[in-house]
Amino acid sequence: MAETIETIAPGNVWKIMVSVGDEVAEGDVLFILELMKTEVPHLAPRAGKIAAILIAEGHAVEAGDTAISMI
Amino acid sequence: MISVVKPGLQTSVQDFPGRIGHMSLGFPPSGPFDSWSFRLANLLVGNPVTAAGLECQFLGPTLRFETATIFSICGADMTAKLDGEPVPRWRSLDAKAGQILELGAARTGARTYVAVAGGLDVPVFLGARATFQKAGAGGFAGRALHAGDQLSCLPALPDARAGRQVRDEALPPLDGRHQWKIDVVAGPHDDWLAPEAIEMFLASPWKLSGKSDRTGFRLEGPAFTFASQAYDKPIENGAEPSNIIDFGYPIGGINLAGQTPIILVSDALTMGGFICPFTVPSASFWRLAQSRPGDTYEFNLLGVGEAQAARRLIDSVCTAESIV
Repeated sequence: MAETIETIAPGNVWKIMVSVGDEVAEGDVLFILELMKTEVPHLAPRAGKIAAILIAEGHAVEAGDTAISMI
Repeated sequence: MISVVKPGLQTSVQDFPGRIGHMSLGFPPSGPFDSWSFRLANLLVGNPVTAAGLECQFLGPTLRFETATIFSICGADMTAKLDGEPVPRWRSLDAKAGQILELGAARTGARTYVAVAGGLDVPVFLGARATFQKAGAGGFAGRALHAGDQLSCLPALPDARAGRQVRDEALPPLDGRHQWKIDVVAGPHDDWLAPEAIEMFLASPWKLSGKSDRTGFRLEGPAFTFASQAYDKPIENGAEPSNIIDFGYPIGGINLAGQTPIILVSDALTMGGFICPFTVPSASFWRLAQSRPGDTYEFNLLGVGEAQAARRLIDSVCTAESIV
């Protein structure tokens, strides 16, 4: 089943740690936002495969933006 | 006693008005960034406005009340839930021992305040309980909260009770806006800018950078031009036109680091060698506190007397008369 990972806060996308097609384990860091000069890691909620990446490094995001979808 | 289950993004103990009178030692005031919401949170639970509470930034904490208490939530909407049930902001609420308060991501605004009856009992350092994280001083162990931390509370005052709310006319107008009017007063170094740079500054939208925190708010916008005194100055002032001999920075100063304006906010550095052409008065700090990266500011020039009047207006609603 597809699942989407949303940004938890507004900020800038600092690093994306995965590519489309990667297999990830639960708790793996998918991407990191920068907010208040703090790194805010976003983790895989479960094991799965990265289906799509909808954010880009250096871009600004709002809270609740869809960032990554997993299958 | 309150246990921290999840700490949130950066949750800290703050008190009002913070650590006042120690800038000569390098200590900024710290304290709640949006002191309007913070003071109302305290008043709701029967505390003096000065009592220590929590400031939650962008993503709130999950807390367990180990003992029954009265609490309130004010400021940004973090969709608070008590044992899974949504609870309103701007009201005093009952918590039973063992209940869990969960705050999520700020839907609008950026900072949310949690007050508990009696206030949080952390050591007083230089006259305040406020956290100054950069120095590892004040608050709870000088830092943002971690999971597993346990916060003690002082005894509640006798008239603390649930069911109180803030009068509508006393609420800060937090409506999810992304464009903000921020007041400034001129100086201390407005005369270092070219007259057209002052016009440019007041006429331009300024975007809040993600590289902003309780130390400084970085702004993105057009470039500044300078008056002759920014160039014709003794060498000890420094090489950049915005360099000046080190001086004590005003809180709220719009510090011009090269071409980047940085508003010096609650946990700001207290001295340095860049000019501050304008200063944001305290009455506009709640707007800064509730804005989000990417939001834009337009600056509105006030006289010092008007800025003081704006402060008195906010002070006048941060009183027990605003609670019903």
